[in-house]
Amino acid sequence: MAKEERKKVINRPKGMYPLRSRIEDVYKLTVKAMQAGKPTAWSMVNWWEGDSIIMAMGIEAVYPENYGAVCAAMGAAQSYLERSDAEGFPSHMCGYARNCIGYAAEMKDLGEIPPDAPLGGMPKPMLLMAAGTLCDTRYKWFQSLGRYLDAPVWTLEIPQPGVEEALQEGVHERNIKFMVKELKELVKFVESLVKKKMDWAKLEEIVTDILEMNRIWYETNELRKKRPCPMHSRDFWTCMTGCLYPAGDLKELIRLYQNLHDEVQKRVDENVGAVENEKYRLVFGELPPWHSLKIFDQLAERGWNFVIESWAYHPPKPLDLSGISDPLEKMARFTYQWLTGYYNDAYENKEWWGYFAYPYLEYAKEYQCDGALLHPLITCRTATNHLYLVQDRLMKKYKVPSLVVEGDIVDLKLFDPADTLRKAEAFEETMEHNRELRKKEGLEW
Amino acid sequence: MGAQKGIQRANEIYRDRSRRVLELKADGKEIIGYLCIYPVIEMITAAGMVPYRLFGDIREPKTKVEACLPTVVCPYLRSVMDIGLKERYNFLDGVVMAHSCEVAEKLAHIWKTYIDQKYAFFLDVPHTIHDAAREQFRDLINDFKLSLEKYTGSPITDEMIVDAINAHNQQRSLVKELYDLKKSDKPKISGVETVKVLMAIMSLPVEEGNELLEEVITEVKGREGGDNDDKKRLLLWGSIIDDTALFELIEDVGADVVIDDTCVGTRPFFPDVELTDDPLVGLANRYLVDIKCPRTFKEANFGEKKKDYMEDLESRFGYIKQLADDWNVDGIILHSLRYCDIHGYDIPGLKDYFESVGIRSIYIEPDYTEAALAPLRTRIEAFLETLD
Repeated sequence: MAKEERKKVINRPKGMYPLRSRIEDVYKLTVKAMQAGKPTAWSMVNWWEGDSIIMAMGIEAVYPENYGAVCAAMGAAQSYLERSDAEGFPSHMCGYARNCIGYAAEMKDLGEIPPDAPLGGMPKPMLLMAAGTLCDTRYKWFQSLGRYLDAPVWTLEIPQPGVEEALQEGVHERNIKFMVKELKELVKFVESLVKKKMDWAKLEEIVTDILEMNRIWYETNELRKKRPCPMHSRDFWTCMTGCLYPAGDLKELIRLYQNLHDEVQKRVDENVGAVENEKYRLVFGELPPWHSLKIFDQLAERGWNFVIESWAYHPPKPLDLSGISDPLEKMARFTYQWLTGYYNDAYENKEWWGYFAYPYLEYAKEYQCDGALLHPLITCRTATNHLYLVQDRLMKKYKVPSLVVEGDIVDLKLFDPADTLRKAEAFEETMEHNRELRKKEGLEW
Repeated sequence: MGAQKGIQRANEIYRDRSRRVLELKADGKEIIGYLCIYPVIEMITAAGMVPYRLFGDIREPKTKVEACLPTVVCPYLRSVMDIGLKERYNFLDGVVMAHSCEVAEKLAHIWKTYIDQKYAFFLDVPHTIHDAAREQFRDLINDFKLSLEKYTGSPITDEMIVDAINAHNQQRSLVKELYDLKKSDKPKISGVETVKVLMAIMSLPVEEGNELLEEVITEVKGREGGDNDDKKRLLLWGSIIDDTALFELIEDVGADVVIDDTCVGTRPFFPDVELTDDPLVGLANRYLVDIKCPRTFKEANFGEKKKDYMEDLESRFGYIKQLADDWNVDGIILHSLRYCDIHGYDIPGLKDYFESVGIRSIYIEPDYTEAALAPLRTRIEAFLETLD
């Protein structure tokens, strides 16, 4: 009985479930594709610019970053991590990477997908699509897989200017041109790899679908600004995969996102929150402990509603692309908007870390957050680098305090839920205190 | 600096790196700090300013950085930031940081947030060496040039850039000449002395660095040569080592680093800049393509459809074997600072490669503290025994 009550603490939208079950379908689809002799790829999250191309070329992709989260959530990661360590890779490196390296090493030994691999496993790829954006691991990891796989690696480029440098004259358009050139090279490469020509009409359709899917998903998250917040971060994390790792039937995905949006809209209209008695509204940064997600139910019992989370997994701010006809340029502009969409505001506020860090300031204000739960990851520089800066800026600018809890996305041994709950209890006083301070300073919430 | 010459002067500068630039600053020179080896220092020289490399301090407890950079990132970069927060880099007029690695890229933004300097520029660096990436990097270097022109209020002409390239290329030739003195059976200059000289010249205007190198080379050439030809000859590969402590430890256990591939050693000095019609093209090629840092994605055959693992390793690491052959080394120390992803991912591949070519190697992963080096002594001693 107690268990049932705990499950209901977070009011999960029904529209989330079909999006969740799609994750499993994608892995099955890719394994089937491999069995049918069709091309398959392992891909890093690339914020759509590369996805659209390989999808249009008929390559089925799986995302080893996502697979790391899947293995962690299903309790299968530890043996892969240990295998990676035994292979000689430093143990402080990315948990997702170590999970994948261990998996690839086992697959090489067996000559087939490891039989106990979660969700049917990832099939042997003919292409590894890496990305240099945000994180060195996301191309060094695939480069290091040469030990186990004979698939070529393509590294996608996304420029990463500083806030001030991005605003130098001509830089924006030059960066778009660079991205388009790189995407054209990718098209040529994939054409030679799969021995067929790009179907540009199909690419156009895929790009249109990706933009539409992101539009709906963006608007869904905008609805979360409402008090009480109608959708919890747990549902964001579950549902983000369809958008972040686009695969399978995109039109079906759009339909599922639209259903979710409509349900969340209904909750807004009816004043229904994701947590029944929303006492504290929090922003979460960055990636959650996938192996210990139940902690959010325990926090929800205390009235903690997580109303927004890490910038990197969200769609970009809206961008009018109606005047652009070339699908590659459309995709380049969209992806670049994802990275730099907050730069102008950051510049005006004299904040110099325009992605990752600055968006938290806008989130805290727009989503009226009482606190931040920051989760530095022992094996992930990317999701951790900025968190102390974020903590500092949130406090200085908006009197929004942070609770910092170290852990890991994959390695459950590095996270202590009981300690987190103890700290959470004390943190409530801090949130209350700062709520008063914000009032005194005339802030809106 | 008075009458001090050669090695003695290098020692002095190594011990007190800012002394000379403070004198120059008092004379009206502007000093620009740069992080890692990707900021194009020729442009700083061309702008009439002094490039001054930012180093950390393995002996200094990190007490300030805790507030803005977590413990799970590069301890060297944390040390640099810590020193910056302690205002020990306040004599700098500005800084240039580059996308040399993920954390360095992020440090640029954190530095700019917390440390107020008159000038700050972040140079993005592509991850590949595709044609488009080279063109992009050429244009990014031009952005850097424009930014310096705006700051100084003076144009930087092609002639000024070519002069700077020539001066820095001369420095690179001198460094190579210095390393050549370590090829003989009895190296005339030790690993400890070499790192001091290199850190000294990265703390001086290029012309003064060249003078110092010439003095050092003359002095070293006049030496008899090392007194112990039983010492094991080692190659040191890896991430930044901006202190003599590790070299001292290695010498203490009966070996010498005769050649290296690290970012204070040969890596920033061995490739020259080719003089091209547009000097920025030569600079872009040198920094993006010719520098051999694992931060740049390279492959055996661009656009290959199947990866041949050994061919890939050969194309990425073959130059290290060449160094090992040319300097006749007995073994290789692979060094990656803790939390350095770009070096860390290469370790199993490097070990595979050196095993395939019959060179023994050992992997060490210190955490950028002096205390972390002591436990390495036994491991390195044991490694040396395997080289007999």
